[in-house]
This record gives sequence, structure tokens and C-alpha cells, in this order.
Amino acid sequence: MIDKRLFSLPGMKRYMGILGVLVFIQALAVIVQARYLSVAIVNLWNLQPLSSIVLPTSIFIVAFLARHLLTVAQNRVLFPFVETTSGKMREDLMAKIFRLGPAEIDKRGTGNIVTMALEGIDQVQTYLMLVIIKMLDMSITPWLILIYILFIRWEQVIFLFIIFPVIILFMVILGLAAQSKADRQYEGYQHLSNHFVDTLRGLSTLKQLGLSKRYANNVYSVSESYRKETMSTLRIALTSTFALDFFTTLSIAVVAVFLGFDLMDGKVMLLPALTILVLAPEYFLPIRNFANDYHATLNGKNAMTAVLEVLQQPEMKQRDVLPAFKWDEAATLEVDQATYTYPNADRPALADISFKIRGMQKIGIIGASGSGKSTLINLIGGFLAPDQPNQVAINGTKLPHLDQTAWQKNFLYIPQNPYLFHASLADNISFYVDNASKQSIHDAAERAGLASWIKTLPAGLDTMIGEGARTVSGGQAQRIALARAFLDTDRKVLLFDEPTAHLDIETEAALKQDILPVFNDHLVFFATHRLHWISEMDYVLVMDHGQLVEQGTPAELARQNGDYVQLRSEMEAADL
Amino acid sequence: MKRLRKTFANDTWVMPYLRKYKGLLTLVLFLGFMTFFSGGALMFNSGYLISEAARQPTSIIYIYVPVVLARAFGIARPSFRYVERLTSHNWVLKIVSDFRKKLYESVEKKASAIQRSHQTGDILSILADDIEHIENLYLRTVFPMVIGWLLYLFIVIGIGALNWVVGLLMLLLLGVIVVILPLASVATNGTREYRQHQIQHSFYTNLTDEVLGLGDWLISGRYTDFMNLQKKPIKEIAELRRKDHFYQWWRSFFVQFIVLLTTVTLLIWGAYSFTASKSLANWVAAFALAIFPAVSPFLNISQGASEWPVYRRSIERVNQLDQNQVKPVKQTTLTEPFKSLSIDRVSFRYPDGNRDIVKDISMTIHPGEKVALLGPSGTGKSTLLKLLVGDLLPNQGHIMINGKDVAGLQEVRSALFGILDQQPYLFDTTVMNNVRLGNVNASDDDVKQAIAAVGLKALIESLPDQYDTQVQEAGSRFSGGERQRLSLARILLQDAPIIILDEPTVSLDPITEKKLLDEVFNLLHDKTIIWVTHHLAGINHVDQVRFLENGHFDMQGTPQELYRTQPRFRSLYDLDRGKTAESAIE
Repeated sequence: MIDKRLFSLPGMKRYMGILGVLVFIQALAVIVQARYLSVAIVNLWNLQPLSSIVLPTSIFIVAFLARHLLTVAQNRVLFPFVETTSGKMREDLMAKIFRLGPAEIDKRGTGNIVTMALEGIDQVQTYLMLVIIKMLDMSITPWLILIYILFIRWEQVIFLFIIFPVIILFMVILGLAAQSKADRQYEGYQHLSNHFVDTLRGLSTLKQLGLSKRYANNVYSVSESYRKETMSTLRIALTSTFALDFFTTLSIAVVAVFLGFDLMDGKVMLLPALTILVLAPEYFLPIRNFANDYHATLNGKNAMTAVLEVLQQPEMKQRDVLPAFKWDEAATLEVDQATYTYPNADRPALADISFKIRGMQKIGIIGASGSGKSTLINLIGGFLAPDQPNQVAINGTKLPHLDQTAWQKNFLYIPQNPYLFHASLADNISFYVDNASKQSIHDAAERAGLASWIKTLPAGLDTMIGEGARTVSGGQAQRIALARAFLDTDRKVLLFDEPTAHLDIETEAALKQDILPVFNDHLVFFATHRLHWISEMDYVLVMDHGQLVEQGTPAELARQNGDYVQLRSEMEAADL
Repeated sequence: MKRLRKTFANDTWVMPYLRKYKGLLTLVLFLGFMTFFSGGALMFNSGYLISEAARQPTSIIYIYVPVVLARAFGIARPSFRYVERLTSHNWVLKIVSDFRKKLYESVEKKASAIQRSHQTGDILSILADDIEHIENLYLRTVFPMVIGWLLYLFIVIGIGALNWVVGLLMLLLLGVIVVILPLASVATNGTREYRQHQIQHSFYTNLTDEVLGLGDWLISGRYTDFMNLQKKPIKEIAELRRKDHFYQWWRSFFVQFIVLLTTVTLLIWGAYSFTASKSLANWVAAFALAIFPAVSPFLNISQGASEWPVYRRSIERVNQLDQNQVKPVKQTTLTEPFKSLSIDRVSFRYPDGNRDIVKDISMTIHPGEKVALLGPSGTGKSTLLKLLVGDLLPNQGHIMINGKDVAGLQEVRSALFGILDQQPYLFDTTVMNNVRLGNVNASDDDVKQAIAAVGLKALIESLPDQYDTQVQEAGSRFSGGERQRLSLARILLQDAPIIILDEPTVSLDPITEKKLLDEVFNLLHDKTIIWVTHHLAGINHVDQVRFLENGHFDMQGTPQELYRTQPRFRSLYDLDRGKTAESAIE
């Protein structure tokens, strides 16, 4: 019920101390309030005039106001702490996202991560605001009230004291029952709630098959069975709330009845009896509040678990092993028997890859899908680390992986769908270059073949593109990525991962004319399954099932009549 | 108020259901009222009980009724609450089933069979969330508010009957809590909500933008820029949250202050009116003790009300779905087999567009013909397909099957067209069920035969659950090529005369692509095929190639003819085959 992680939050203990004092004073105010309300009532009961209740009522008013002002004060004290904690968590999460890199984030889903950083942290904030004060309230207020009642009349204390653990016991038992039932149903449950979105997404397929109209009833009946499932779980969950409610309410009734009998027998006077009766609901209030908000805090608790889990992800270390350098004609990249296995996979996605590259060359990487082309590019880009250290080396420096700051400053990565930021076209082109001049951006755009398109844009290079702004076709997106390469003359290595796979043949043919010039003074890695690129390459790596089965110049490979020739013949279309 | 009326003016989502299930709704409200009534009555009765007992009456008879009542109310309160919660949840979930069906039907009417991606999924998730919002509208705003008002009326009338002046005071004091503050909350939150929505939305889009472009951020090494970009929205959000919290705290305090005034009013009333006799004075404790539990439902009304702007947006959004529905066209059927598909001088432009996407296109396709459509993106290929199947209606010209307009053949459409697109959707159920969607009357053997025909028999039978294997979310159990084959099996079962292939191989590698195309054209050799493709692999399978450029055809002929006579086509074809590309662009 109580989250131990809370105590490890920095600064938590100090705030707990301050809040503890405030809650303590508040509990005193609750007692004073109850006491003087009772005094006022008893005076009236004794048929005394209005003037007799002025003083007790005034004290009651002051205590009442103090109590509720203290609630505000507690929140006021706690809020900066919660704000800093959750703010820091959000910042840490952002920093972590940056350090984990795209491979890890893709695995978790962009949507999940963004939701976590936005709503997840908000939920953590709500959770912290609720849970800390409620916890303290529950561990201080009831016991102070109990002690006070002990001084008035100990018989009632025994009853109130015994009923408390009984309530908690029942809540726990029923809570566990509901939990296990929920767990058992969880899978089917998820299935049902996903079904609706699933159906909506597959709507065009249903329409193609002429089933879309008929499916409406299916949607309804699945939703109805979802309702029945939910209700059967809810019934148990609500029973646990019912138990709490039942015991607390009935306890008040029992206290009232016993006090009634004792009063009749003259064992107690009205004032103490009334005070106890007024205090009885206050005694149960903290645990009721805690239970009522329990479900509301669950989301926050889960969100916090999720955030902490991401924050504890291991990240690549030793990112600065490689000294700063510039890739040039003499530079070398060596991959020596590198193996990479995806987490939870039973066989490696790359096995025993070895090759050595020097200076400016054009390296083609070919193979069927699933052969490991993209994995190899990811390894070269440092997005994935080889299973063992020292399997990669640059300029003779053996490295644990290629996620090296110095290496990253030397290359550009151009994937199938280059990402375009929601920013102006100029900002997108100059993303990698600080303070690029307008003229140089313009020149780069022109060399990438964007000039005629830019002329059609309302604001030219200042036109906003990306999500929610002007849409950019696949061919133009590649050209923008190309313009980045033209603009950034410091980065001499280009990693292409199937840049033209989605393009239609005419667009690809036109784009190729503009890509070829950039190859000249660069080291190029080009993963593709479009054959015509191969003839532009100096050297080809042929991948098959995670292995580098052949390497050499295209001419050498053609002579060898091995995997390369085989692959080409499988891919090639017939003569017309 | 005006806004409220506007929201519900053409409402088909909230009010009709309140009416449909009014029996259950009344029950929920009654149970909610009884819960709080019992809570108040328990303390009222207990106050009276001990006051009377303290007079030490001669016989237990005097307190017998209150003693019994104390236990009765003590049991009644939790019981009513329990039943109320079960009933209200059940009621809301019932409505949700209706909502889902209704939402599905509205979306279905506008959906197109030709779709390039599942991007619209996001919009659909928003709509699914809207339904949950409306669910919360009932549970968190409507029910507590109506129950609060019922209780408010009860208290005011009850006390007013004893003393109209005090009744009037209660009307005013408690009215502040149940009417004025909720209204104020909606007003304050209405403006703040708008601002908050804006900031959150921009934070959300910025962050998504950053995360999607993470690779570029990482390689560029711009860590500080990356972190700084979020500082401003994070600060703004924190500012908003702070204001929101402060507002809530002080509002709760103010509510408590009103409760205090109410209590003091009751005490003063007690001093004036109940000190005449001992039996009358016993009621003072009753009233004073009852006030706290009785007003407890009022405490959350304002919070529920302040959530209204969120709900309003959802209600407005789902209600908008029902607008601009297409006019229905009178439907007929085809009695004879498919003879011809003719496109007759068709032009089309989107209602919000500024140019014709399709310009004066004509073409006739006969049974068994295979046609390939090529062209860069944005030249109107998918628009043309939408026109062909009748998802869009041409501005000019006609599209006819056997001389009948396709717009009037929508009900028999699936008997005419089979469609295989880029990402055919597999539903989260078994292989068997997914393939059977092609023809729901197909027997298990028919389905197995179709799966065997597309070459997946060995694969499926090697799986532990064989044909009952779950395909998992969006078919992720299978590879892209396998998903296409399963969909092809579906089309085989569907057995429509015209097959539309909408770039089915775009995400496949050349070897898989080649095999799939060979298979498609082999299995569907007797069908009419219209194939939109982005490159020339497999073009030898068709009788006719058409290049679509800026909304009209600019190159057409058999592939062999084009290869011989058109240098542009020849160079593209050679490029695609990996031959030299020197002459690709003239």
C-alpha cells in the first residue's frame, strides 16, 4: 500500500518532517474543533441562551478555519518539492532519451515515450501530491484522536482501536481477490479493449471485403461482452470499498448506540459522549480518503514505475574513447569478426563480420531482406554495439563500439525516410551546421536539385515543412537530406540505408543524377536492393543471413560467380 | 450558456442516450441520493439519540426507535453506495457499447477502401478516447452534480418547511457551492483549458518531432539545443499546473468556509428556536452533526464542472462526425457477369483543392485484361483508384461497369472488386478467421485450399497452433511478404472479377517482390487486373502500361511496344534491371 520508492526521492525526508508537523497541528485543530462544537451544542441542549455559545463557537470557528488553512499550507509546502522532483524527472527523461538513441526508443514506440514524458510525468506529479499527505494523515491523525478519546473514555477506544486493523484486513483480502481476478482476465481484457481500435484501423480492409456494414453488430457485441467482464471484476473491487464503507459507517452507528445506552445509565455525560461521536467520523476519515484516492493514484504509481524503468536503462558508455579526428584519404575503419545479437534473440543478427576500409570509397551493401544490411549500417553508425568490445577500430584505435562522439562528427546518416523537422526548409537543411549562411544553404539546395521545387513554394527556403505543415514527397525528402550532405563539408562519411526503396522509378532515376556527385570525395556506405546502384560502387559487401558471404569490387565478384551473381540473377527482371 | 446550448443543439451523442436508458438513470440518481441521505440521517439520528439518552429517560422505549434507525442507516449508506456504483458503471458501459457501434458506423460511412497507410489510426485513437471522455462526463460530472442538486433541494425544502428564513439562507449559502462555484470554475477553466490545450499540443508535437528525429539530433551532437528546446514548454506547463493547483486549493477552502457559515447559521437558529423546551433542544445536536456528511457530495461538484471543457471538446468532435455525410445514391445490382469497366471523360478535384487531380481521363477495360498504372507520387493514381471503386464521385464524366454507374453498385462492390494494397490489415485473431473474411461462408477446407494456393500451407502447418495461430496486433506475427500472401488468399476466396493491386510490393525486397508478383498473376490469370506500381519489376505480366502524369495519361502501350518505341521507357526499364543508367534521363 505504501510506496517505498518515495523515501529515496532526494529531499523527501526533510519535507516529510515539515509536513508531519503541519499534519500534527491539523489533527489538534480537528480535536479542538470537535470539542468546542460539542460544547456549544451541549450549552444549547442545557437551554442556555445564545450568549453562552459565543465563546465556544468562536473557538470552533478558529479551529475549523485553521484546519482547512493547514490543508492549503500542506499543499503549498509540498508543491515546490513535487514540482522540482517531477520537473527533474522530466528533464532526466529527456536526457535519457537523447543518450539511449533511436534504436532503443523505436523499440518502445515514439508514442509511448512522448506520452510518458508528457502525461506520465503529470500523473507522477498528481500521485506525489496526493500520496505523501494522505500517508502522513493516515499515520498521525487517527492515533492522536484515539489518544484524546482515551482521556475521555477508554471503553470506546478499545472498540475503535480493534475495528481499524479489521478494516485493513478486509480491504487487503478483497483487494487481493480483485487483483488476482483482474490478473487472470487481463489478457482477454486487453484484447477486448484493443479490439475496437483494431477494427477501426482495419476499416478499409473490411470495406474492401464488403464486410464493413455487418461488422457494426460485431463491434457492439464485443463491447457488450467487455462490459460483462468488466462488471464482474468491478464487483469484487467495489466489494472491497464496500467493506471499508460498511465497517466505518456501522462503527459510527455502534458508537452512537453504545454511548446512548451509557448515557441512559448515567455512566457518561453528554459533552464527552458528543465529542466522541463528532470525532468518530474524523477518526475514519484519513483511511477513507486514502482508499478513495487509491485507484486515482494507481495510474501515477504505474507511470512512475515506467519512468524509473526507462531512467534505469543501461546506456552506451565509453563514448569518448576515440580522439577527435577528421576522416581523410588515410583514415581507416576496421571491423574485425564483429557479432551482434538482438536482446532476447537466440541467434546473432550479424555473425563474424570482417572488413577493412581506407580513405574515400564507395561501399555497396547488398542482400535479401533480413540478411542484416540495416543491422550492419546501424553497427557502423554506432546505434548498436557489437557483442564484444574491440571488434571495431578507427585509425587503429580499438573501440568498444562506434557510438563515439568523434566518429559521429564525421558522418551523416540518410535512411529510407529521412526525418524532416517541423521547421523551415532552410533550418532543415542546415540542421547539422551552425550558422550556415543563407547563400550556402541556397547553393546546397540547388546542388541537391531542389531549386525548381523551392521556386514553387510560397516562402521559398523559409517555408515551414514537416508534420502539420507542408507535406514533402519521398523524393524531395531525400534531396533535403542530400542538401545537408552538400552543406556540411566537414562530414566526409555518408551512410545510406535503402534511400530509394520507396521511390517510384522515375523519381529515383532523377534523384540518382544528383546523388552521384556527392559520392566523389566521401566514404559512402550504401545499403540497397536496387541493382543499378551497384555499378556505381568501388567495393561490395554481400550479406546473407547475418553473414558477410562475399566482398570485393563488382568486377571481381562477377568473375567469382558466387553469391553475388546468384543474388543478381534472382533479383533481375526478365528481358522484354 | 449559449455555448452549452450550441454544444447540444445538434447533439446525437449525449441526450438521446439519456432518454434511451432513463429507467436505469433514474435508479442511479435515486441510489446516489439515498447514499448521502443515509449518511446525513445517520449523524442526525445519532445526534438526537445521544441528546435524548442524556436526558436519562425512564424507559429504553424512548430511544428504541433511534437505536434501530442508527443501525439501519449505518447499513443503508454503504449498501446504497455499493449498488449505486455498480449500477452507474453498468449504465455507463452499456452506453459505451452503443457509442462504439455508433462511432464505428459514422466512421464507416466515410471510410475509403483505398488507403495508403494507417496514419489515420491516430485520429481514430483520439475518437476512441473521446468516447471514454463522455463516459467520464457521466461518472464524474453529471451524476455527482445531479445528485448534489437533489440533496440541495431536499435540505433547502426540509429546513425551509420548519423556518423559511433559515431555508432561504441555506438556499443562498449552499447555492454558492452547488451553483455559483461550478459556474465560476467552468468560466475560469474554459479560458485556462484553451491555453493549456495549446501548450500541451505544441509540447506534444515538438517532443514527437524531437523523438522522431532523434537519430539526427544524436549524430549532430547538439545535446544542449535538444535539451533547451523543451525548457520553455516545460516551464509553461509547470506554470499552468501551479495556477491550477492554487485555484483548486483555495476553492476547496472557500467551500469549507461556506460550510462553516452554514454550521454557524444552524447553531444560531438552534439557539433561537430550539431552546424553548428540553425535547426541542434534543434536535440541536441532530442538525449540527448532520450538516457535515450532508454537504460532503457538494465538495466535488466544482471539480467535476471544471472538467467540462474537456468533455465539451469531445462531444463536439463526435457530433461533427455526423455532419457532411454523403448523399446516398440509389443502389442496383448486376445480374449478368462482368463485361466492361469504362472510364468516360472523368475529371476530379477535391472540394478543398485548387487543381484537378484527374483531368478528362477515358479508358475501357475488358474482362481478363491486365493494366499497369505508373507515375510519380501525387499524380493522382490513388485518386483514380478511389474513383474506380466508387469511394469518390467524379465531378465530370462517368465510371461504369456494364454500362451502370459504379456509384449505384456500392452494395455489391465486394462481389466486383478485390483489392490488395500496400499494408493489408490482418485483424488480431486467428489465421483461419482472417482469411475467411474473404468469404464468410467459406468452409474450413476452402480456407485451407486458398492458403495452400498462395504457398503458405507448409509454414502455417509448421506452427504449433496451425490455422488457429493468432496473427497478433496488425499481423505482426508474420513478415511483410507473408502478410501479403494471407491477404491474397483472402482475395482468392472473395473471387471478384476485377482485382485492384495498389502497390502491394512497395515494402518488399526484390526477390520477395518477384515471387509474390509471379504468384499473383499466376493465380489471378483469369481476372481483370488494375495494378498501380512504382517501378517496373514484373511489368512483363501485363498487356497494357499507362503512365499517369499530372492527372492524364502520357505514355501507353504494351510493355514490349513501349520498350521498342519509347527511349524513356527503355532506359527506365534497364535502370530497374540494374543495367547502366546513362540514358535514364533525357
